[in-house]
Amino acid sequence: MPFEYLPIMAQNSAPKPPRVLVKPSKPAWCPATKPLNQSRVALLTSAALRLTQQEPFIPREDFGYRKVPSDPTAGEIIIDHHSGIGRVPKQDPEIVFPRTALANLVKRGLVGSLAPFHFSCMGGLRDHAKIENELATAIARDMKEARVDLALLVPY
Amino acid sequence: MIEGQGIPTLLIGTAHDIISKVTAPRVVFVDHPVGRTFGPPHDRGRNEAVLERALAELPKFTRAGEIRDPGFQWLPDGSRAWERELIAEMRQDR
Repeated sequence: MPFEYLPIMAQNSAPKPPRVLVKPSKPAWCPATKPLNQSRVALLTSAALRLTQQEPFIPREDFGYRKVPSDPTAGEIIIDHHSGIGRVPKQDPEIVFPRTALANLVKRGLVGSLAPFHFSCMGGLRDHAKIENELATAIARDMKEARVDLALLVPY
Repeated sequence: MIEGQGIPTLLIGTAHDIISKVTAPRVVFVDHPVGRTFGPPHDRGRNEAVLERALAELPKFTRAGEIRDPGFQWLPDGSRAWERELIAEMRQDR
Protein backbone atom coordinates (compact mmCIF):
# COMPACT_ATOMS: atom_id res chain seq x y z
CA MET A 1 0.00 0.00 0.00
CA PRO A 2 1.47 3.40 -0.94
CA PHE A 3 2.75 5.65 1.81
CA GLU A 4 0.20 8.25 2.97
CA TYR A 5 1.57 11.78 2.98
CA LEU A 6 -1.55 13.80 3.64
CA PRO A 7 -1.98 12.94 7.37
CA ILE A 8 1.60 13.99 8.14
CA MET A 9 1.28 17.14 6.06
CA ALA A 10 -1.91 18.02 7.95
CA GLN A 11 -0.13 17.60 11.29
CA ASN A 12 2.79 19.68 10.07
CA SER A 13 0.62 22.55 8.93
CA ALA A 14 -1.23 22.87 12.26
CA PRO A 15 -2.50 25.19 13.58
CA LYS A 16 -3.02 26.40 10.04
CA PRO A 17 -5.58 24.33 8.15
CA PRO A 18 -4.19 21.60 5.91
CA ARG A 19 -3.63 22.31 2.28
CA VAL A 20 -6.64 21.97 0.05
CA LEU A 21 -6.03 19.81 -2.98
CA VAL A 22 -7.98 20.97 -5.99
CA LYS A 23 -8.64 19.62 -9.42
CA PRO A 24 -8.17 21.82 -12.48
CA SER A 25 -11.14 24.10 -13.14
CA LYS A 26 -10.74 23.50 -16.87
CA PRO A 27 -9.56 19.91 -17.27
CA ALA A 28 -8.11 19.19 -20.67
CA TRP A 29 -6.81 16.14 -22.45
CA CYS A 30 -4.49 16.32 -25.40
CA PRO A 31 -3.75 12.96 -27.05
CA ALA A 32 -0.08 11.98 -27.01
CA THR A 33 0.15 10.90 -30.62
CA LYS A 34 3.66 11.96 -31.56
CA PRO A 35 6.25 9.21 -31.07
CA LEU A 36 8.58 9.92 -28.18
CA ASN A 37 11.64 9.57 -30.39
CA GLN A 38 10.34 12.46 -32.50
CA SER A 39 9.16 14.62 -29.60
CA ARG A 40 10.67 17.75 -28.12
CA VAL A 41 10.46 17.37 -24.35
CA ALA A 42 10.58 19.82 -21.44
CA LEU A 43 10.58 19.26 -17.69
CA LEU A 44 8.40 21.23 -15.30
CA THR A 45 9.36 21.02 -11.63
CA SER A 46 7.75 22.55 -8.56
CA ALA A 47 11.02 22.42 -6.59
CA ALA A 48 11.63 26.15 -7.05
CA LEU A 49 15.03 25.34 -8.46
CA ARG A 50 17.16 27.57 -10.65
CA LEU A 51 20.67 28.23 -11.83
CA THR A 52 22.76 29.86 -9.13
CA GLN A 53 22.96 33.09 -11.12
CA GLN A 54 19.18 33.33 -11.64
CA GLU A 55 16.93 35.35 -9.37
CA PRO A 56 16.09 33.43 -6.17
CA PHE A 57 12.53 32.31 -5.46
CA ILE A 58 10.92 33.93 -2.45
CA PRO A 59 9.28 31.36 -0.14
CA ARG A 60 6.47 30.72 0.25
CA GLU A 61 4.23 32.55 -2.21
CA ASP A 62 6.37 33.26 -5.26
CA PHE A 63 4.24 32.99 -8.39
CA GLY A 64 7.13 33.47 -10.78
CA TYR A 65 8.95 30.79 -12.67
CA ARG A 66 12.41 30.28 -14.09
CA LYS A 67 13.48 28.92 -17.45
CA VAL A 68 16.40 26.60 -16.74
CA PRO A 69 18.63 25.64 -19.67
CA SER A 70 18.11 22.02 -20.64
CA ASP A 71 21.82 21.53 -21.27
CA PRO A 72 23.06 19.71 -18.16
CA THR A 73 26.40 21.49 -18.41
CA ALA A 74 24.80 24.95 -18.37
CA GLY A 75 25.41 25.57 -14.70
CA GLU A 76 24.85 24.53 -11.13
CA ILE A 77 21.28 24.05 -9.91
CA ILE A 78 20.12 25.08 -6.46
CA ILE A 79 16.75 24.47 -4.81
CA ASP A 80 14.93 27.33 -3.08
CA HIS A 81 11.90 25.32 -1.96
CA HIS A 82 11.41 25.51 1.80
CA SER A 83 10.27 21.93 2.37
CA GLY A 84 12.13 19.91 4.97
CA ILE A 85 12.32 16.97 2.60
CA GLY A 86 14.67 19.09 0.53
CA ARG A 87 17.74 18.10 2.51
CA VAL A 88 18.31 15.07 0.26
CA PRO A 89 17.50 16.54 -3.17
CA LYS A 90 19.56 19.61 -2.32
CA GLN A 91 22.55 17.26 -2.30
CA ASP A 92 21.70 16.31 -5.89
CA PRO A 93 18.83 18.13 -7.64
CA GLU A 94 18.94 15.57 -10.47
CA ILE A 95 16.87 13.19 -8.35
CA VAL A 96 13.88 15.53 -8.68
CA PHE A 97 14.94 17.26 -11.91
CA PRO A 98 16.45 14.62 -14.21
CA ARG A 99 18.08 17.02 -16.62
CA THR A 100 21.06 14.76 -17.29
CA ALA A 101 18.97 11.60 -17.60
CA LEU A 102 16.68 13.24 -20.14
CA ALA A 103 19.64 14.52 -22.16
CA ASN A 104 21.05 10.98 -22.17
CA LEU A 105 17.77 9.58 -23.48
CA VAL A 106 18.04 12.06 -26.35
CA LYS A 107 21.58 10.87 -27.05
CA ARG A 108 20.33 7.28 -27.08
CA GLY A 109 17.59 8.18 -29.54
CA LEU A 110 14.69 7.30 -27.21
CA VAL A 111 13.60 10.94 -26.94
CA GLY A 112 13.58 13.21 -29.98
CA SER A 113 15.07 16.40 -28.59
CA LEU A 114 15.22 18.74 -25.63
CA ALA A 115 13.34 22.01 -25.44
CA PRO A 116 15.92 24.80 -25.00
CA PHE A 117 14.64 25.36 -21.47
CA HIS A 118 13.00 23.44 -18.69
CA PHE A 119 10.59 25.18 -16.33
CA SER A 120 10.66 25.62 -12.57
CA CYS A 121 8.13 27.08 -10.15
CA MET A 122 7.35 27.05 -6.43
CA GLY A 123 5.29 24.11 -5.19
CA GLY A 124 2.81 24.37 -2.34
CA LEU A 125 1.26 27.67 -3.39
CA ARG A 126 -2.17 28.18 -1.89
CA ASP A 127 -3.82 30.63 -4.30
CA HIS A 128 -5.11 28.14 -6.84
CA ALA A 129 -6.89 30.70 -9.00
CA LYS A 130 -3.64 32.62 -9.40
CA ILE A 131 -1.79 29.42 -10.25
CA GLU A 132 -4.24 28.66 -13.04
CA ASN A 133 -4.79 32.18 -14.32
CA GLU A 134 -1.24 33.49 -14.16
CA LEU A 135 1.50 30.96 -13.45
CA ALA A 136 0.30 27.91 -15.40
CA THR A 137 -1.01 30.06 -18.21
CA ALA A 138 2.35 31.76 -18.67
CA ILE A 139 4.29 28.50 -18.55
CA ALA A 140 1.92 26.88 -21.06
CA ARG A 141 2.36 29.85 -23.39
CA ASP A 142 6.16 29.63 -23.15
CA MET A 143 6.06 25.89 -23.81
CA LYS A 144 3.92 26.48 -26.87
CA GLU A 145 6.36 29.10 -28.15
CA ALA A 146 9.22 26.65 -27.57
CA ARG A 147 7.33 24.04 -29.65
CA VAL A 148 7.30 21.55 -26.79
CA ASP A 149 5.62 18.25 -27.76
CA LEU A 150 5.57 16.67 -24.31
CA ALA A 151 5.84 18.20 -20.84
CA LEU A 152 7.12 16.03 -18.00
CA LEU A 153 5.73 17.28 -14.71
CA VAL A 154 7.69 16.36 -11.61
CA PRO A 155 6.00 17.55 -8.41
CA TYR A 156 8.31 18.22 -5.48
CA MET B 1 -3.54 24.65 -18.91
CA ILE B 2 -0.65 22.96 -20.69
CA GLU B 3 -2.84 20.31 -22.30
CA GLY B 4 -5.21 23.11 -23.27
CA GLN B 5 -2.35 24.53 -25.35
CA GLY B 6 -2.14 21.24 -27.22
CA ILE B 7 0.82 19.87 -25.28
CA PRO B 8 0.35 16.45 -23.67
CA THR B 9 1.70 16.07 -20.15
CA LEU B 10 3.03 13.17 -18.12
CA LEU B 11 3.24 13.63 -14.37
CA ILE B 12 5.83 11.46 -12.62
CA GLY B 13 5.14 11.48 -8.89
CA THR B 14 5.75 9.70 -5.61
CA ALA B 15 2.86 10.81 -3.36
CA HIS B 16 0.03 8.53 -4.45
CA ASP B 17 -2.57 9.96 -2.08
CA ILE B 18 -1.93 13.46 -3.44
CA ILE B 19 -1.66 12.72 -7.13
CA SER B 20 -4.82 10.61 -6.99
CA LYS B 21 -6.77 13.64 -5.75
CA VAL B 22 -5.58 16.31 -8.16
CA THR B 23 -6.52 14.39 -11.33
CA ALA B 24 -3.65 15.12 -13.66
CA PRO B 25 -4.20 13.89 -17.24
CA ARG B 26 -1.55 11.14 -17.08
CA VAL B 27 0.33 9.99 -14.01
CA VAL B 28 3.11 7.48 -13.51
CA PHE B 29 3.39 6.53 -9.85
CA VAL B 30 6.93 6.01 -8.56
CA ASP B 31 6.88 4.24 -5.20
CA HIS B 32 9.92 6.06 -3.85
CA PRO B 33 10.19 8.42 -0.86
CA VAL B 34 9.08 11.93 -1.74
CA GLY B 35 12.00 14.05 -2.86
CA ARG B 36 13.78 11.08 -4.48
CA THR B 37 11.60 10.50 -7.52
CA PHE B 38 14.47 9.39 -9.74
CA GLY B 39 16.51 7.53 -7.14
CA PRO B 40 19.16 8.19 -4.51
CA PRO B 41 21.57 11.13 -4.89
CA HIS B 42 24.38 10.75 -7.42
CA ASP B 43 23.07 7.54 -8.98
CA ARG B 44 22.88 8.58 -12.63
CA GLY B 45 22.20 5.06 -13.85
CA ARG B 46 19.13 4.76 -11.68
CA ASN B 47 17.97 8.29 -12.55
CA GLU B 48 17.96 7.35 -16.20
CA ALA B 49 16.40 3.92 -15.65
CA VAL B 50 13.49 5.42 -13.71
CA LEU B 51 12.90 8.11 -16.31
CA GLU B 52 13.08 5.63 -19.19
CA ARG B 53 10.67 3.24 -17.49
CA ALA B 54 8.22 6.05 -16.70
CA LEU B 55 8.31 7.29 -20.30
CA ALA B 56 7.63 3.77 -21.55
CA GLU B 57 4.18 4.09 -19.97
CA LEU B 58 3.24 7.06 -22.15
CA PRO B 59 1.62 5.12 -25.03
CA LYS B 60 -0.39 2.99 -22.62
CA PHE B 61 -2.68 5.73 -21.30
CA THR B 62 -6.21 5.48 -22.60
CA ARG B 63 -8.17 8.01 -20.54
CA ALA B 64 -7.70 11.26 -18.62
CA GLY B 65 -6.88 10.90 -14.93
CA GLU B 66 -5.32 7.46 -15.26
CA ILE B 67 -2.55 6.54 -12.81
CA ARG B 68 -0.18 3.84 -14.00
CA ASP B 69 2.03 1.91 -11.58
CA PRO B 70 4.96 0.20 -13.32
CA GLY B 71 6.08 -1.36 -10.02
CA PHE B 72 8.98 0.81 -8.92
CA GLN B 73 10.58 -0.22 -5.60
CA TRP B 74 12.87 1.95 -3.50
CA LEU B 75 14.69 -0.95 -1.87
CA PRO B 76 15.74 -4.01 -3.90
CA ASP B 77 13.85 -6.39 -1.60
CA GLY B 78 10.69 -4.31 -1.81
CA SER B 79 10.62 -3.65 1.94
CA ARG B 80 8.98 -0.51 3.32
CA ALA B 81 11.75 0.15 5.84
CA TRP B 82 12.29 3.59 4.32
CA GLU B 83 8.94 4.84 5.54
CA ARG B 84 9.98 5.26 9.18
CA GLU B 85 12.98 7.35 8.18
CA LEU B 86 10.83 9.45 5.90
CA ILE B 87 8.30 10.14 8.64
CA ALA B 88 11.09 11.45 10.88
CA GLU B 89 12.32 13.61 8.03
CA MET B 90 8.87 15.02 7.37
CA ARG B 91 8.32 15.79 11.06
CA GLN B 92 11.06 18.39 10.71
CA ASP B 93 9.16 20.00 7.83
CA ARG B 94 7.25 22.57 9.85
